[in-house]
Amino acid sequence: MSNPVDLNAIIAGSPFCRFLNIGVTVDERGVLASLPVRDQLVGNVMLPALHGGAVASFLEIACLLQLAHETGSTAPARAIDISVEYLRPARRENTFARAHIRRLGRRVAVVHAEAWQSDEAKPVCLLQSHLRLPSGFVPGE
Amino acid sequence: MTDDDDTRTDGVADMADNPYASRMVEYTPYAVAVGMQYVSSSPGRGTILLPWRADLVGQDGTDILAPGALTALIDHACGLAIMAGLGFEAAPATLDLRIDHMRPAAPRASITCAAHVYRATRTIAFLRAEAWDVSPDDPVAAAQAAFTLNRRGAR
Repeated sequence: MSNPVDLNAIIAGSPFCRFLNIGVTVDERGVLASLPVRDQLVGNVMLPALHGGAVASFLEIACLLQLAHETGSTAPARAIDISVEYLRPARRENTFARAHIRRLGRRVAVVHAEAWQSDEAKPVCLLQSHLRLPSGFVPGE
Repeated sequence: MTDDDDTRTDGVADMADNPYASRMVEYTPYAVAVGMQYVSSSPGRGTILLPWRADLVGQDGTDILAPGALTALIDHACGLAIMAGLGFEAAPATLDLRIDHMRPAAPRASITCAAHVYRATRTIAFLRAEAWDVSPDDPVAAAQAAFTLNRRGAR
């Protein structure tokens, strides 16, 4: 990629990302997003487990970050739909996510993401999303 | 929504009212953190309000609530709809959740989400939910979900 996007700047420009305290690094596999645990994220105090909505929105953000990273575009894509599957409770631990672009069209991208905690081989949550790309978007540009 | 929906809904008509259902909004840390407010509930139905807040906006300069904030609202309204009819011991857990974002919410708009159980078995509840900013007739998002639950005595 000729023009790497500053993912931290994207996070800094999003109040909701700041609220969730999303972290991001890039390695040879792509974007690695993190959701640091804190008590406010708990959705089930009995287990305890993180709120499914918090984990799903973390995965939505992971999709947007991967899309920005791969396309080099900072213009925001918008979710058309999301489909989330919860595989196991997200414990009160730090959570990580990676997203994969499965198809990049001119107008729509199909992106899958998964979240895990202590063991990447045991994802806690999967998300698939169709994202509407900003108008004027040219893949690979 | 019409009044006769409840009685025709399979596995829902026999639900009892849970007078403490609002607690599931008022005492869940994440629901409190994002500022959800309990609106109403009845067996198999739950409605929650997410007031607009600057720190829940998706992008600086837009004043529009992040889609992710809606995700939690919808998920929680589904949980409320289940617990409003089956009590807290139902211990619902989301299996899957699909959300269609029909349009962006209006800037600085609060969002209301109403969820209802349209079918419940002993172990699974199926729900639909809609979220809107101004009018339920013009939703910003529609959702469909399946939850696992622990329902004693039902089939």
